[in-house]
Amino acid sequence: MKHQPFEDWLLDDKLISPEQKRELDSHLRTCAYCSALAETGMALRSAKMVAPREGFASRFQVRLAERKLVDRRRRFWGSILFTFAGLIILLWLALPYLYTFFSSPATWISVLVEWGVYLITTIRALAEAGTVFVDVIPSFLSPFMWMVLLSAMAGIGLLWSVSIWRFVRAPQGA
Amino acid sequence: MNEELAWVLQAQQGSDEAFTKLVEDHQTHVYNLCYRMLGEPEAAEDAAQESFLRAYQNLHRYDQSRPFATWLLSIAAHYCIDRLRRRKLSMFSIDEENDEGATYEIADPASPDPEVESVKREERDRLHVLLKDLDATDRAAVVLRYWNDYSEIEIAESLNLTVSAVKSRLHRARRALAGMWQEEKPRARAGRRPYETPAF
Repeated sequence: MKHQPFEDWLLDDKLISPEQKRELDSHLRTCAYCSALAETGMALRSAKMVAPREGFASRFQVRLAERKLVDRRRRFWGSILFTFAGLIILLWLALPYLYTFFSSPATWISVLVEWGVYLITTIRALAEAGTVFVDVIPSFLSPFMWMVLLSAMAGIGLLWSVSIWRFVRAPQGA
Repeated sequence: MNEELAWVLQAQQGSDEAFTKLVEDHQTHVYNLCYRMLGEPEAAEDAAQESFLRAYQNLHRYDQSRPFATWLLSIAAHYCIDRLRRRKLSMFSIDEENDEGATYEIADPASPDPEVESVKREERDRLHVLLKDLDATDRAAVVLRYWNDYSEIEIAESLNLTVSAVKSRLHRARRALAGMWQEEKPRARAGRRPYETPAF
């Protein structure tokens, strides 16, 4: 009998008949490789579980508490940093307006009117540009390109939503 | 509802006590997998603890239709595979590490034949050393198959592989182990000195 079926029996840990067992035994006496395969198979099947040192669960509880503390600290300092950075940016943006606010009422009323006019004209200009854009662009882009563009925008939107969700989500049980 | 699922649900609600029960229940399986994968008790302890922490942090992702043990061992196996890959990248040889305390298996004193037990233990130790030379994923497949009695389907689920890939990995690993076993055997015999025999 050829070598292959014996190797398959040993590799698949197949149940074999007494007749096949006798054939296998005589093959194992002559084939060093199959003999090694049988020995490793026996060693693997007789392998024992190794248990951790006593008190594994207690050590886990300590580690979990430490990890929670680290996470809490990180979240605390993260939110402090975030708030301060936001405040600084807000202050930087609002500083010119605050400066005007503390000057005479006539000045801040004129700034307010000026700002309102600027806002309205900007919105009108943008609306006009948008209308022109909407009128002109379809003739430049094929429907396929539109599809690609819209899919990309949807993908970016999804990525943004997932990023926000992951950022604000607190870890389980923390 | 079984007891384990009740603990999982309680742990998902934020009960650390329930999660500790799960740790107590599965610590040996997770630790054994890590030990067989990484080869040293200290690394295994650290990896097992980290695996439980990851399971705790991702408990909301656990699919209750799957057995909890399979999910947990999947986390541990992937963690150990990553760790071994990082270790390989840093050109760190585990063969050169101190193996002190690496052998926990003690022969059963009630065994009828201590010599047979001793030979068996020696073979298991040799096997443990040889396991270190296998590819990380192959090693995980072998441990799940022979220590955890997982079917090829369960191994495939745990390691994110196809059943045929698991089968071929197991065959490859068994062939590699047999090859190394053959090479090691003459060395093991030659390495034994007369003063190492029980008579001396």
